[in-house]
Amino acid sequence: MTRRFSRWLVASAALVYLFLHAPVLALMVFSFNDSKFSASWMGFTLEWYRRLVERDDILLGLGRSLAIGLGATVVATGLGTLLALAFHRHRFPGKRAAESLLYLAIVTPEIIMGISLLAAFVAVGFSLGTLTVAIAHVTFSISFVAVVVGARLRGMDRNLEEAAMMLGADEWEAFWKVTVPSLMPGIVAGALLAFTMSFDDYVITSFVAGPGSSTLPLVVYGMVRRNIEPSINAISTLIVVITSLLIYLADRSMRRSAR
Amino acid sequence: MRRRLLRWFARRPAASGGALAAPGLLWVAAFFLAPIAVMLGYSVRERGLYGGVAPGLTLEHYGRFLEPLYLEVLGRTVLWALVTTAACLLLGYPVAYVIARAKRWRQILLFLVILPFWTSFLVRMFAMIFLLRDTGLVNTLLQRLGLTTDPIQLLYTPGAVLIGMVYGFLPLMVLPIYASLEKLDDSLLEAAEVLGANGPTRFARVVWPLSLPGVVAGCLLTFIPALGSFVPSDLLGGAKQVMIGNLIQNQFTAARNWPFGSAAAFAMMALVLVAVVGYLRRRDAREVVG
Amino acid sequence: MTRPTRREFLRRLTASALAAPVVGSLGSCTAKAGQGGTTDDDLGPIEKDLSLYLWSDYLADTTVPEFEREFGVRVTVDTYESNEEMAAKLIAGASGYDVVLPSSYLFPLFHANRLALPLNRKYLGNWSNVAPLFVNPSWDPGNRISVPWAWGTTGIAYRRDLVDAPPTSWAVFHDARYRGKMTMLDDYRDVIGSFLKFRGRSLNSVDPSELEQAKADALAAKPNLKAYLSGPVKSQLIAGDVVIAQLWNGDASQAIAEQPEIGFVVPEEGSMIFADALVVLANAPHKRAAHEFLNYILRPEVAAAISDKTGYGSANQAAVPLTRAKVPYPTEADLARLEYQTDLGGGAELWDRIWTEIKSG
Repeated sequence: MTRRFSRWLVASAALVYLFLHAPVLALMVFSFNDSKFSASWMGFTLEWYRRLVERDDILLGLGRSLAIGLGATVVATGLGTLLALAFHRHRFPGKRAAESLLYLAIVTPEIIMGISLLAAFVAVGFSLGTLTVAIAHVTFSISFVAVVVGARLRGMDRNLEEAAMMLGADEWEAFWKVTVPSLMPGIVAGALLAFTMSFDDYVITSFVAGPGSSTLPLVVYGMVRRNIEPSINAISTLIVVITSLLIYLADRSMRRSAR
Repeated sequence: MRRRLLRWFARRPAASGGALAAPGLLWVAAFFLAPIAVMLGYSVRERGLYGGVAPGLTLEHYGRFLEPLYLEVLGRTVLWALVTTAACLLLGYPVAYVIARAKRWRQILLFLVILPFWTSFLVRMFAMIFLLRDTGLVNTLLQRLGLTTDPIQLLYTPGAVLIGMVYGFLPLMVLPIYASLEKLDDSLLEAAEVLGANGPTRFARVVWPLSLPGVVAGCLLTFIPALGSFVPSDLLGGAKQVMIGNLIQNQFTAARNWPFGSAAAFAMMALVLVAVVGYLRRRDAREVVG
Repeated sequence: MTRPTRREFLRRLTASALAAPVVGSLGSCTAKAGQGGTTDDDLGPIEKDLSLYLWSDYLADTTVPEFEREFGVRVTVDTYESNEEMAAKLIAGASGYDVVLPSSYLFPLFHANRLALPLNRKYLGNWSNVAPLFVNPSWDPGNRISVPWAWGTTGIAYRRDLVDAPPTSWAVFHDARYRGKMTMLDDYRDVIGSFLKFRGRSLNSVDPSELEQAKADALAAKPNLKAYLSGPVKSQLIAGDVVIAQLWNGDASQAIAEQPEIGFVVPEEGSMIFADALVVLANAPHKRAAHEFLNYILRPEVAAAISDKTGYGSANQAAVPLTRAKVPYPTEADLARLEYQTDLGGGAELWDRIWTEIKSG
């Protein structure tokens, strides 16, 4: 009974993974298709990869997206985690209003956030560029991080920290040595979410980006709006393959050092 | 010095909560609340003929949003968001559970959930179109296998929209559930097994209650952004319906009615806010009791 | 008075006969060259940078690199996906861009928000290449603020091999024979506009009863449509999933290049014609470089390469003989059926409501 139940869970999870990756596999296959419109399989080609080398706009966009994504993730994860701690560990006046504010930021339609931020940047004389894009990304990521970390915090007991403090650690040490490590899965999940949303955002970025700060999604949208240019499939394939490789290597080296 | 500071905070719990929250709240206030307040101001102004707003105060835009035409749009969007959230929960829970229970492969499985999202959203939507259209991969396979003779219409159906929505929001469901399930202890499950609980019972009595905060967070993180989503409906549903997201976007672009766009957005936000505040109030009340 | 003066005409002649970099210095000698409302401010030496903000997929591969090489200007190109998105961004106050590329119907908005810089003709030595059709157009009287770039029409693309007879009228979208095999553009100006034309009305009508009729026609067509789909319909036309599609001519020619069985017609009731034109923004940081770019685009070989890439007609008549796939200018008879979209002004609200009703129906 028990075995069957967990086997059922594993099988359905496997199906979901298939669902998530089938379109990605399809675009990987089509990145080698010898047709501009990818209507059907027309034969093997490396043309789209070759063309990628000439398209410095794609590579520049990728570089910007990575830099903005990493920067925004660090800031948003830090601020969001602190907010989660404040909301779940403390009482302070205006707490519920502050927490509602975070949800309000999630529900705000992207175009509203984009236009209002743009108008605000213009009003205070910020010139549009990579920095304004990064600020916008932090702004819409904070709430997601806070909610995810909060889900981890809720129900986590404080016994360990209290034990640590009884053993002579001050609150600072208890925080770094006990709280943060046990929060880690929540922080990692929140950070992944923040990076992914930053890396994939189109609407808000399109408003707050300035000349020469187009991120990868902006470049990609331009290329697929009229017809899907297969170089996009090629760059997507490269991103997926390279990240997979990096993660696999990181995982292996971590395992090795653990042993 | 550090100890003295810590002691000061320890005696004033409200101050330490405030200190933790301050940086994040300041950021959100500066870059979200202040700009959005300006938009709230826009929603009660007259429409500027060529974009922006014109002088004069009015509530007509909120009144217009209450017309049956627009309420129907809102209702349809809420329904789609609910169905999406339910489907994400159904599909996402097993994934989160498997990741949280995995030992050797945990990090890898976690990244595999996220990985497809590092290709661009629109690219994934187009890949989905390749799979679903009449001459697409799914139909070709079905016909090769002799299961169907004519292509079945998959693309531009409500089913396709649902697939696209679920695809877009699944990680938002999986990650929080994973984060709360990860603390599930083997010993807890073993104890339950020793006490004779079978799989479903252990799930209902031990796993599910423990994951509840994650489930709630996941549902909120899925439902709320799903309300504003419209690209799957446009690209996979054939743009045959207007979602509230399109409606609002149109007001800032083609229709050039910024005040009505703002009013529609704030009406929707108010609706969600009421629900969220209600939830927070109940949760806090429960925590005080518990 | 917008026609070029004799002196201006002679100056242009000499200018276009000389190499382009010389044009600038020559221009600065004839200080009083401006006329017809354009400015004659001296713009100083050419800047080192230029920021273009253009429709995506609208440049030939060589356009920007060759400009950079010749003029020593570093060019950044950012793209937008719709006129409206670009306009919203500019109205909200975005700055830093030099050149944008609005469609003709957006010009009232550019005028109303004072977004554009009046052009200085003394830097536009290649101006005489502009086709007469686009000199002094209704949307930019006297070409004060824009240099026309490309033009196009909305029509019907169809698969010759998969339809019984080529469509000739917008009425084809009411033909149940092609149910589930047809698409219309996901653009309210094109959908509602084509059904206004179908009833012999102006596609800029804001008359409630005419719009009510167009709505009824659009709703009658909706069950026959597979989807409302814009650019991406091309691959479905090529695959044959879609056999009849409302489409812009340039996108149609891109599809024809891959699938010769695709045809394109402008329906007999008439349709929309549009022009896209380059505008220098009033707050452009690099005004001189922007002018040089506009003048560069006016060169026949540059314009021809762009037209070949996009499939849209060139507004540059000297470029037409150089293009591989000719896009002939509309004849007088064609022009009688074609109509420019204009800004709907206060009528936009009613149009948007009707569009919502069509989508909700």
